[in-house]
Amino acid sequence: MSKKSVKGEYIETDTGNKVSRRSQIIGTTNIILGGKTVIQAEVIIRGDLLRTYPTSTAGEKQGNPVAVAIGRYCFFSRGCELRPPGKLYKGQFSHYPLKITDHVFIGPGSIVEAALIGSHVNIGANCVVGKFAIIKDYVRILDGTVVPPNMVIPSFSIVAGRPGRVVGEIAEGEVDGMDLREVYRAVGNH
Amino acid sequence: MSSFTPYTYFQCPCTEASLPNHRNPSQEEPSSSDDDRTFDPRAPRANYSLYPLEHLFYCEDCHQIRCPRCVLDEIVTWYCPNCLFEVPSSSVKAEGNRCTRSCFQCPVCIAPLSVSSLEAPPTGLGYEYAPQNGPFVLNCGYCSWSSKETGIEFEKPNGIFAQLARVKNGGEPILTAKERKKDRERKRDFSGTSAEKEREETPEVEIPREPLDPNEKLDPESQFSNLKAFYQGQLAEASPASALGFTGDYGYGSPGALSRIMGLYTGSTAFDKKVKAKAGTMREAQDALEGLQLTTISEEEEALTKLRTEGWHCTSSASQRAEFLNTNAQFITELRPVAYLLRTKRSKRCRTCRHILSKPESKVSTIRFRIRLVALNYIPSISIKPLQPTSSASSLLQPMRPVQFLLTFKNPLFDSVKVTLATPTKTPGRFASKVTVLCPQFEVGANTDAWDEALREGTGEKRRTKAEASEGQHQAEAGKVWERGRNWVSVVVEVVPASLHIGGPEFLKNEEMKDDEGPLKEDEDVCEIPVFVRVEWEADAAHDESGLGGGGSKEKDVREKRELAYWCVLGVGRIAKV
Ligand SMILES: [Zn+2]
Ligand SMILES: [Zn+2]
Ligand SMILES: [Zn+2]
Ligand SMILES: [Zn+2]
Repeated sequence: MSKKSVKGEYIETDTGNKVSRRSQIIGTTNIILGGKTVIQAEVIIRGDLLRTYPTSTAGEKQGNPVAVAIGRYCFFSRGCELRPPGKLYKGQFSHYPLKITDHVFIGPGSIVEAALIGSHVNIGANCVVGKFAIIKDYVRILDGTVVPPNMVIPSFSIVAGRPGRVVGEIAEGEVDGMDLREVYRAVGNH
Repeated sequence: MSSFTPYTYFQCPCTEASLPNHRNPSQEEPSSSDDDRTFDPRAPRANYSLYPLEHLFYCEDCHQIRCPRCVLDEIVTWYCPNCLFEVPSSSVKAEGNRCTRSCFQCPVCIAPLSVSSLEAPPTGLGYEYAPQNGPFVLNCGYCSWSSKETGIEFEKPNGIFAQLARVKNGGEPILTAKERKKDRERKRDFSGTSAEKEREETPEVEIPREPLDPNEKLDPESQFSNLKAFYQGQLAEASPASALGFTGDYGYGSPGALSRIMGLYTGSTAFDKKVKAKAGTMREAQDALEGLQLTTISEEEEALTKLRTEGWHCTSSASQRAEFLNTNAQFITELRPVAYLLRTKRSKRCRTCRHILSKPESKVSTIRFRIRLVALNYIPSISIKPLQPTSSASSLLQPMRPVQFLLTFKNPLFDSVKVTLATPTKTPGRFASKVTVLCPQFEVGANTDAWDEALREGTGEKRRTKAEASEGQHQAEAGKVWERGRNWVSVVVEVVPASLHIGGPEFLKNEEMKDDEGPLKEDEDVCEIPVFVRVEWEADAAHDESGLGGGGSKEKDVREKRELAYWCVLGVGRIAKV
């Protein structure tokens, strides 16, 4: 299937990302995509919400500042939104980067303002992940959960409720099923 | 109605013994083979034995499936789920099972609390390096509760647990356990009941404290420690020296307590008699210093006024009190931040042979397992999908209209397996759907390791078979597999869903219906098919036994017959109500 043929739903990048033509990615220069990530229609990624508070280590990094860093094999479902979290600190409001590791699935309509999402995390539909939440590896967040701001969710947790609380543990056998490579491969471009 | 996702649950054999076939006990013979037994997934007990494959283990020594009910948990590591610090088991024993750093949950909504300063933020040049000064409070980012509302503020932003332990709601200091003890001793000296005690090492620069108030209002911790001290004193007086010569310690674990408890059973030790003789001298707590708290009328009136003026909303809910250690807290203002309960990493052992089935890496930050014997890697998984793509209008099964499902068996073993399926012709329960497995016996090829798979990827192995399936008039035929891949096989099962009609002519009713003609129960419209699965294969005998030092290692080709049989339940869909 040559890329020049009829326009598909997705724009495929060199690193294998499939980005819907109907997604809204703002501030692309501040967004890192690790590759093989699927971004569906109506997904919003706010790369424009950059950190304005000075970093403690001066001259830390050259090049583009990063607002949203995304790893490999992530899947962002229709209508979800990724926003770098912001807070007032010492009298100054600033956003801070949102980091998403590998094999992270975010369900349709969910809003994510976490500081860090580890690998193999599955966030259901219509969830809200509050500001500066830290979600470690192998976590499942059930549909409709509101993860409160600043919550730390340890590995192998199942979280549900408003506010979200740990309601169960990921079973040893569920670990393998949280790999998203198959999901990525199943995404066709038509 | 929400959409229905087909599911497969596996029955752990550990419940077999306790799951009698209550439906037709006359047919059950003690010596009957597995095949004669049926399994009713709707039986109330079945709930406790059915698991998704992902939740099951496989014991390599017992060659058997293990479920959460037949494994033993063993704690590897304790840690705080909020700060993720590991807590040594010695401090868990000494300080309890909560985080003693600064990790707290909101007493109102259980969201995490964060520390923030009440002081105006620093300004001017270099403000970002300026340290933030106190006082500090705990704030909830979810419901906006603040510890300030209950009058609690902190001097430092860290070590909140220790700071909180010293302040009451409202800001008054709490006497520490040591100070309490001193108080009690002072009182005892005062009343002269206890003789000259050895003075504490501290040279007692007796700060003249206000006289001890016997009606003092105590916080729950102090009340408990006073009460405990009082009873310990009572016990010590009642039996000055136990049989083993221990005096001070009357905890449950102490040898004195143990011999007393043993005395309850044996009933005739000299020690026992002594206790009986002295039993009359025991008394109950009399004042606050001994842990007695009297409710006064003014307090009750205060509570009533508060209820009248502030209403229901100022009272704490049952769940809030359950979360909070002091279950007497009637009002929200009495609630205190809740320290996070510690969480554990656990290994699992087979209950029968005690071999380890799962063992996580002990460090909190690592997610790897040292051992992980999950059933997923030993028994074929079963996935269900409708053969004919359903019309988008309704995913419900139409009564009396035959529908075909594809069952795909995927073999995780590196040996090919022979699978035999058996189903009852009719599903159990009041609404009996007819079930036919078109190909009840087949072989599934061996799994290959991940590298092979990666190399083969894209060679279109799957696609080829799919194309085959879609082109031509591929009809489901009895005795033939529908589709076959390297380590998977799909077979067709045909279901004639029952009608959910209740009542009707007597001759159409089955036994269950005659017994119970009540209205449709919850989930009774779900079509669940019990399937008995038997898996047979040949494995390397040397491979599974502990190969080290095995005398027969030269006979490498010795193959061992293996067999595993278990019940599964396939939830294929909901039947439409007509
Ligand atoms: Zn079991
Ligand atoms: Zn902690
Ligand atoms: Zn709260
Ligand atoms: Zn075992």
